[in-house]
Amino acid sequence: MKIGWVPQRPALYGRLSPFENLELFARLEGVAEPKAEVRRLLDLVELPAGKEPAGRLSVGNQQRLNLAIGLLGRPDVLLLDEPTASLDPRQRRRLWAIAGEVRGRGGAVAFATQNLEELERFATRVAVLLAGELVFEGTIVDYRADPSAQVFA
Amino acid sequence: MRSVALLLGKDLRILGRSRALVVAFVAYPLLVAALVGLVARFAADRPRVAFVDLDNLPKTLEIGGERFDVKGVIDQVDAAVELLPMPAAEADHRLKTGRVLAEIIIPRGFAARLRGMVESPELILKTSPGGLSDDIRRRTESLVFNLDRRLQTTYIESNLGYVDLLLHGGKGSFLGNRFDIIGLEAAGRSLADLRRRTPDPAARKEIEQLEIFVREATLAIGQTGSAMRAIANPIKLAEGHGGRSYILSATVQSYAVALTLAVLCVILGAGAIASERDENVVGRLTRGLVRLSELVAEKVALVTAIAVALGLALIIVFGIAVEAAGAPGGQPWQRLPLFALGLVLVGAAFGAFGVLLGVVAREGRTASLLAFLVVLPLVLVSLIPRSASEAPFWAAQLFPFSHGVAFFESALYDLDPWGRLGRQALWLAGLTALFGAASRAGVRRLAR
Repeated sequence: MKIGWVPQRPALYGRLSPFENLELFARLEGVAEPKAEVRRLLDLVELPAGKEPAGRLSVGNQQRLNLAIGLLGRPDVLLLDEPTASLDPRQRRRLWAIAGEVRGRGGAVAFATQNLEELERFATRVAVLLAGELVFEGTIVDYRADPSAQVFA
Repeated sequence: MRSVALLLGKDLRILGRSRALVVAFVAYPLLVAALVGLVARFAADRPRVAFVDLDNLPKTLEIGGERFDVKGVIDQVDAAVELLPMPAAEADHRLKTGRVLAEIIIPRGFAARLRGMVESPELILKTSPGGLSDDIRRRTESLVFNLDRRLQTTYIESNLGYVDLLLHGGKGSFLGNRFDIIGLEAAGRSLADLRRRTPDPAARKEIEQLEIFVREATLAIGQTGSAMRAIANPIKLAEGHGGRSYILSATVQSYAVALTLAVLCVILGAGAIASERDENVVGRLTRGLVRLSELVAEKVALVTAIAVALGLALIIVFGIAVEAAGAPGGQPWQRLPLFALGLVLVGAAFGAFGVLLGVVAREGRTASLLAFLVVLPLVLVSLIPRSASEAPFWAAQLFPFSHGVAFFESALYDLDPWGRLGRQALWLAGLTALFGAASRAGVRRLAR
C-alpha cells in the first residue's frame, strides 16, 4: 500500500520551481515517467509550470504544491496534517477537491483537523485525540450522536 | 546511491541559484590567498627591537691599527630586525609594555674593551617572554656571531701585520709603544754574515745554532697567516640563491587552500544539512525516499565536490602567480591529481564535521554561525607548534586542518611523498568516518 503524506507546513524546496520540486520527489519515489506525472499533477493542482521558485508562491499555492508532492505515485492513502489551517475558504475548497482524487479512485484520505465544519463535510470516520489519548473512534454519524466525543464543540 | 545523486543535483542547482553564495565561493578563496600572502609577508617582516647605545659608539673603530665599520654592522642588523635607537629608560618601558620585542644594549666601555683586544666586551640582550623571543634571540645570536666574525677578521689582520713585521721587519706600534725592528729574514742574513766574519770556531757554532733557530722560526711564522685564518673560520658558509619568495612557497599555498576549505566547507556542510530541516523536507525524505545515512553522505559529497572545485581554482591561481613571478622550480602541475585526491579527502573530512555541527545546531542560521565560531579557534589551535605545548597539538589532530596542510604540502612538493600522504590520508578518512557516524546518529533529530 502506498501512502502519501502532506505535512501542515509545506515540505518543499523554496529555491526550486514547482516543476523541479515535483520532478525531484517523483524521481526519489521512483515514478516511471516523472515528467509526465509532474505535468499531470501541476494540471490537477492548477499550478503553472514556470520557473518561479516555490518560495515565492502564495501560501495557498505552496500548500497545493505540498499536496501535489503528497499525491506523487498515486498513493492509496493520503495523510493530511491540518492541510487548510492557513488557507482562505476558496483555497480550502480547491484543496479538498484535489484530495478527493484519491477517494475517487478507491483510496482513503486521513486528515488531522481542528475545524469541525471540515470534519462534518469530509469525514466518514472520526478519531478524537485529547491530551494524547484516544477518547473516541467511530463513524461520523456515531460522532454526532455521542456527547462525550464533542470535546471540541 | 541514486537518491544521493538526485539530492546532490538538487543541492548544486540550488547553490548555483544563490548568487551571493556563488560570489562568496569565488571571492573567498581569492581573499584568503591575498590575506595569507599579506600575513606571510608580515610574518617575515622585521621584529621591532630597542637599541640602547650607552657607549656612544662611533661610526668606525680603530682596532689594532685596523678600521672597524661599526655603522656597517648596525645596518646589517637593521636588515634582520627593526632597530629603534632610544634611551635605556624608554627601552625598558617599551619592552615591559610589549611595544618592542627585545632590547639590545651596548654598555659603557664597550668600544674601549674592543680596542684593548684583551677582554671580550659584552652585548646585553633583554627579551620578553613569549613565542617570538626565541626568534629574536636567534637573530641576535646571529648578529653576535657575525660581529665576532668581523672582529676576528680585524684582529687577525692586525696580528698578521705583526707577523709580517716579525718576518720582514719595519716600523710598528703595540699598546701605544712605537718600535722599529729588523725582522727574522734580515736577522738571518746578519747572522750568516757575522758567522762568515767570525774566526772563533766556538762562536761560529753558536751563531750557527742561532741561524737554525731563525730559519725554523721564519718557516713557522710564515705558516701562521693561513693557520690563523683557518682557525677563525673552520667551516665557511657558501651562500647561493635558488629559493622562491615565501609568499609563493609550498607552505603558503597549502595553508591558503586548507584555510579556505576549512571555513567554507564546514559552514557549507552545517548550512546544507540544517537547511533541509528549515525547508521542512527531512520528514518527507526519510519516510521511505532517502535513508538517513544517504542524507548525511549526500551532504558530505556536496561539500567534497565544492572543495575540489574551489581547491583546484585556488591552486591554479597560485600556479599562475608562481609562473608569472618566475619562481624557481615553478608550479608542480604534474602533482595536480595527487593534490585533487587531497581535496577529496580534506573536503570530505571538513564536510562531515560541518554536517555534524548542522545536526547539533538544527536551524540553518544557527548552524552557519556555530560553524564559523567553531572553525576559527580550531584553525588557530592547529597553528600552535607542538614545541609550545602538547595539548593543543593533539586537540588539533582531531580537526582536519593540520592533516590537510600536511597532505597538500607533501602532495605538491615532497620528493618522496607517499609515507606522509598515507598517514595523513588515514587520519582524514578516519575523521570523516568519525564525524559521519556521529552525524548519522544525530540526524534523526532534524525530522522532529
